[in-house]
Amino acid sequence: MNPVVGIAAFAAVSLATAVIGFYGLRVSRTTGDFYVASRTVRPWWNASAIGGEYLSAASFLGVAGLILLSGTDALWYPVGYTAGYLMLLLFVAAPLRRSGAYTIPDFTEARLDSRAVRRVTSFVVVVVGWLYIVPQLHGAALAIRITTGLPAWVGQVAVVAVVCVTVVSGGMRSITFVQAFQYWLKLTALAVPALFILLVLAGNGSRAVAEASVNPTAMAPAGPYQNISLLVALLFGTLGLPHVLVRFYTNPDGQSARRTTLIVLGLLSVFYLFPTAYGLIGRTFAPGLAKSGQADALVLLLPGRMIGGTAGDLLSALVVAGAFAAFLSTTSGLVVSLAGVISQDILGGSVRGFRLAALISAVVPLAIATMTDSTALAGSVGLVFAFTASTICPVLLLGIWWRGLTDAGAIAGMLTGAVSCGGSMLAGAMLGSAGTPPWLAQPAAWTVPAAFTVMVLVSRSTQGRVPRTITRLMTRLHTPERPLATER
Amino acid sequence: MTRVRVTAPRSFTVGSAASGSIAAGRSAADTREAAEESDAGQVFVRSLIRSQLRLGVVVAAGFLLILLAFALMLGLVPGLAELRIAGLPFDWVLLGAGIYPVIGLSAWLYVRTAARNESRYRDLTGDK
Repeated sequence: MNPVVGIAAFAAVSLATAVIGFYGLRVSRTTGDFYVASRTVRPWWNASAIGGEYLSAASFLGVAGLILLSGTDALWYPVGYTAGYLMLLLFVAAPLRRSGAYTIPDFTEARLDSRAVRRVTSFVVVVVGWLYIVPQLHGAALAIRITTGLPAWVGQVAVVAVVCVTVVSGGMRSITFVQAFQYWLKLTALAVPALFILLVLAGNGSRAVAEASVNPTAMAPAGPYQNISLLVALLFGTLGLPHVLVRFYTNPDGQSARRTTLIVLGLLSVFYLFPTAYGLIGRTFAPGLAKSGQADALVLLLPGRMIGGTAGDLLSALVVAGAFAAFLSTTSGLVVSLAGVISQDILGGSVRGFRLAALISAVVPLAIATMTDSTALAGSVGLVFAFTASTICPVLLLGIWWRGLTDAGAIAGMLTGAVSCGGSMLAGAMLGSAGTPPWLAQPAAWTVPAAFTVMVLVSRSTQGRVPRTITRLMTRLHTPERPLATER
Repeated sequence: MTRVRVTAPRSFTVGSAASGSIAAGRSAADTREAAEESDAGQVFVRSLIRSQLRLGVVVAAGFLLILLAFALMLGLVPGLAELRIAGLPFDWVLLGAGIYPVIGLSAWLYVRTAARNESRYRDLTGDK
């Protein structure tokens, strides 16, 4: 591929991100403005922003790559990523908005009236955020290497640099507009080349995808345990992602939080049709990528291969731009929410503390990413979902729906999930993908129930610790807002 | 360039609820909260929470059953994978596209019913 294409695409996306970020900032300058603006953001904007932040490297590159590798088994990934939002809608969206909490530690501290719970939750959130940024940087490394031929670390450093500059200078504060733009950019970047490829295929009159079931690698199909465990992780992991929760705060009330989630589901459904199409086409026309270990680059390479010439270069540039939009939007969303947690809990909450925290939040995963090898992107993000599903998900679900949850139970459950799931991830990393038994490779099916069970049992035996304010808290979480109850 | 820092609003913390709101709105909110925390008010609140939870569980279970049915159908009905829809393999169409309308429909049904539960609660508590 022409190296200029990759560099130009990356520069254009970074510039557009910065311009929209600063333009949006001028619209809302003071804290009051920010609140007023954020509460009048239309559900469509808000939903686009949520979609923009959520669709990461795993969705943009990883899903198609995994479909190329393992066929229909990998179709559970996009299904799980989308259905996770259904669970979020059913059990979390409106009550969480009504709690008024801005971060997950805020919520657990207020719900359980305990600083200790806050500290444990903050710790888990930071781990989740770092684990989630690492695959984004692996994606960036891959994209830079494939499209420009530059060394892989250049991509990682470039993404971290752009994110740090925009977050520290405050550009990402007007995050709604930037993220909304990123969603539509990502959708366009996949949809337009896909349509051209389909046109070419139709023009050739080829019976395109009849051989989709042909397996390009000798990989054994996943058993039912692995598919179920993966679905558990994706369904229950989504509702614990720190950067997803922050976005819900910009809804005016619980009712519109639900409407926004409904639109998000629509946007995600439309988006995931395209990685699936890339995977299917790739399985028929580019099975060589799977054998050469470049499956994750399928989305980046397919337009150039199928079309070629100047048109192919332009479409490739579009795809590369979309990929960088994915790395940038998810990474900056995570860095902003991590920096909020770190600065509030460790650095005292000053503006300087926030900037320092933003640097820490971005540089630590950069170090991890340069030291580790990229495995399949969708797979490593799937493991992060397993971790949130075993730690944050139980405390959110039980905190919202069960009066009996206590601080001791929450801490014991989160630690159980963190140790069992984190331990499995470490063991899996040390054993390598070939030597890992399925129950370690996809731990969610047993770590999530374990975390729930411990949380319930310990809470049961410490019922004296249920906060006295529980009645008022539950009322606030679940009753609809009135027009009279103007907050702030 | 001023940078706006958004941190936790304190409105969730009990005791400082509705801090900074207009005095009139505040007293109305306080009356409402007092009414909700009375024994009679709590009966309605608890019933609202129960019905919302039941609704969520029912929709989730329904969706998961459909998902399970899809998976079983592909695994157990022989010859289904060889079926073609407009040149595309049937299992790909079902998992790659067919599930999304089911998700959307479940979500839409939930949002509608949840809003109805809430408006019934409003009617019961005489709050307009």
